[in-house]
Amino acid sequence: MSLIEIPVGPQHPALHEPILLRVRADGERVVGIQVVTGYNHRGVEKLGERSTWSKDVFLYSRICGICNTVHAQTYTQGVEAIGGIEVPPRAQYLRTLVMELERIHSHILICAVMAEVVGFDSLFMLMMRDREPVMMLKELVTGNRVIADYYVLGGVRRDLDEVKKDKILKVLEGVEARVKYYKKIFMEDYTITKRLLGVGVIKPSEAVAYSLVGPTLRGSGVKSDVRADDPYAAYGEIPFNVVTYSDGDSLSRMLVRLDETLESIEMIRYIIKHLPEGPIAPKTPIRTLHEGEAFSRVEAPRGELIYHIVSKGGDKPYRVKVRTPSFNNIINGVIAYRDARIADVPVILTSFDPCISCTERILVIDERNGSTKVLSLKDLSRWGK
Amino acid sequence: MGLKLLTEVLSNVFKRASTIEYPKQPSLALKEHRGQQYADLSKCVGCSLCAVECPSNAITMASLPVKLKHNPRSIYPVIDYGKCIFCYRCVDVCPVKAYVITNYFEIASDRPGNSSELSLNTIPK
Repeated sequence: MSLIEIPVGPQHPALHEPILLRVRADGERVVGIQVVTGYNHRGVEKLGERSTWSKDVFLYSRICGICNTVHAQTYTQGVEAIGGIEVPPRAQYLRTLVMELERIHSHILICAVMAEVVGFDSLFMLMMRDREPVMMLKELVTGNRVIADYYVLGGVRRDLDEVKKDKILKVLEGVEARVKYYKKIFMEDYTITKRLLGVGVIKPSEAVAYSLVGPTLRGSGVKSDVRADDPYAAYGEIPFNVVTYSDGDSLSRMLVRLDETLESIEMIRYIIKHLPEGPIAPKTPIRTLHEGEAFSRVEAPRGELIYHIVSKGGDKPYRVKVRTPSFNNIINGVIAYRDARIADVPVILTSFDPCISCTERILVIDERNGSTKVLSLKDLSRWGK
Repeated sequence: MGLKLLTEVLSNVFKRASTIEYPKQPSLALKEHRGQQYADLSKCVGCSLCAVECPSNAITMASLPVKLKHNPRSIYPVIDYGKCIFCYRCVDVCPVKAYVITNYFEIASDRPGNSSELSLNTIPK
């Protein structure tokens, strides 16, 4: 029987962002899959070279909506390393607090999306309802529900008072009970287990060989978390467990996320109890840096996020290279689709927590001879006409 | 096994809806929310620092229709709300704290909007 090719995307009911999966199928069975990105490219890396160090904090926050504070953390961390800028301990704790709030709402979101993709819409609606208080907490601490803009070079922009601390603790109590309930649903409900259990299995050796990161890697039983391996911000002082599940299927990837949400809630309680006193930002704003280079990594909700920042002195960055976790997980995750059924393709993609806007790069690869080339701006504009 | 969520769904039938009828009922933004901001011209000295520091180049300096003593260059910042990303960089860098901050977010419009009118209303009589 001849193979048929089915395009999933770029516009598809199961996908929330534009990406094209060219599925080659033999009947119901998936034989091969090709991932095509490039529908969301915005040229952020290039744009950053025109702007100044301090303005770029806001630009790089906007690479990804959901994980905006981790992008800001990775960027400021790198810039602070080049400039030798000391961040006050209170600011480090507040940064960690906001990153963990973000992890909670990001993980609840993708679990809700997974419920929607498997056709369990009432669970989707309930989870989105219970995510709302966490968004409110983020607004309370930072000033906005999604794009926090909480960072400046050398510190944070807003302080936390006692009223807000009490409010956070009170709301998180409710959220914790709900997340525990949803974990039970994910482990026991027939609709969920039928669609997720044993679907898209990645062996630990493959997960490492294909350099998958984040909950996708930990879902295959590999204990790897930048927060524990290479502590940044205040993570070196906060106790937490690295969650792993050994099955390597879509369900264990989702359970890693739900368990991490519970860990994050505990971490926020610890942060609020042990928040040090002191300033939250340097008195004089930082405008220029000397020559230098920094390699900065952070555990985003989706995995390890890497920035490579090069400074040639002055007030502008020379080059900022971003490697997002979704780039590895979506492109190299194609190994998980083999022998899956066509109906499982969106489920497996969702189990990687795909963030398409993070993934976009312009790199043309000729499939026939395997050569690659990077396009210049001139080529791009000619292409766009 | 079975329908774990059924009791939860049934109990929600008898509860109040968790959504609100938005245009009829006001949507709640916290007072911490970064909403519409504009320059208070009774304080603004026309230094243009906000226009220089704006990450999205949304602020342009326009000339004042009247002469003010504390504003020697007679210019004031106009924020293009279509371009503004509401990061409040302008509010932070202002040396005289001239920006008025609100949590008002319902500024979507079919016409291009800017802060000119709001700012000009603050000119001391």
